[in-house]
Amino acid sequence: MNELRKAIDASATEVLPGTGTGARRYRFSPGFIGFSGHFPGNPILPAIVQIRAVLSLAEEEGGKTLRLAAVRSAKFLAPIRPDEDVSIRYRRRIDSGRNLCDATLSVAGKTVAAFQLELAEGEAPR
Amino acid sequence: MIAGITLPMAAEPLIPHRPPMRLVDTLVSVNDGCAVTESVFPRTTMMADGEGTIDEVAFIELIAQSYAAFKGYVDRMDGKPPGEGFLVGVRHLEIPGKAHSGDRLLTSIRTVAAFGGFAVVEGAVTRGDETLASGSLKVWLVDPDADGG
Repeated sequence: MNELRKAIDASATEVLPGTGTGARRYRFSPGFIGFSGHFPGNPILPAIVQIRAVLSLAEEEGGKTLRLAAVRSAKFLAPIRPDEDVSIRYRRRIDSGRNLCDATLSVAGKTVAAFQLELAEGEAPR
Repeated sequence: MIAGITLPMAAEPLIPHRPPMRLVDTLVSVNDGCAVTESVFPRTTMMADGEGTIDEVAFIELIAQSYAAFKGYVDRMDGKPPGEGFLVGVRHLEIPGKAHSGDRLLTSIRTVAAFGGFAVVEGAVTRGDETLASGSLKVWLVDPDADGG
């Protein structure tokens, strides 16, 4: 497991009540490694951290190592700043044999990002 | 030509990203809306696992930062400081390959469209002849003259 993923996992604060989907809340502190250099004096949670967080959550809850095979679509609607409570919800499904993951990130009830990812399963644990 | 700007050049003066989140090392070439950058992830990068495999999400950032380096270069050639931009969308980005720390990665970008403060960019990350990732990004370019930008 890489250092970025460890830092993301350590930023999880709460498992949210499920409605058949995975859901967890995160708070990325000002010292979170993903803010380092992104950007000096204007910290914004990198898009790739947001995608990595969804992937890691799905991996942990599914009990299998996953690889990001594709980003079918992703929209980043508002910046995520340090110490904001970020709720991540995702739902996995199979479509035409493809392993898909639909996810949203929200802050204070407002959607700040939405993805559709394609995942590949069964790789060796990292 | 602006004094001191020749290619290849270090990417850092062209983009707002700084280590450890600056993933692009060098702007190699620029030609008519297209550019190529070079990156080598060190063994110590936060993106690598214990075996040196780079997290695949890094490919997205490589394409985004390569466009930022291209835009920063164009701004500098126009006599302006490099502008800011933010990734606002990704579409059809396929990741068939894996990278490892120490690999020499080349990222090619092509500006497909630019309108109303947005740019659509196609990009690909390669190692030698192998394409590791390719897809399309949408970037919002901050207007430095706009209030509150």
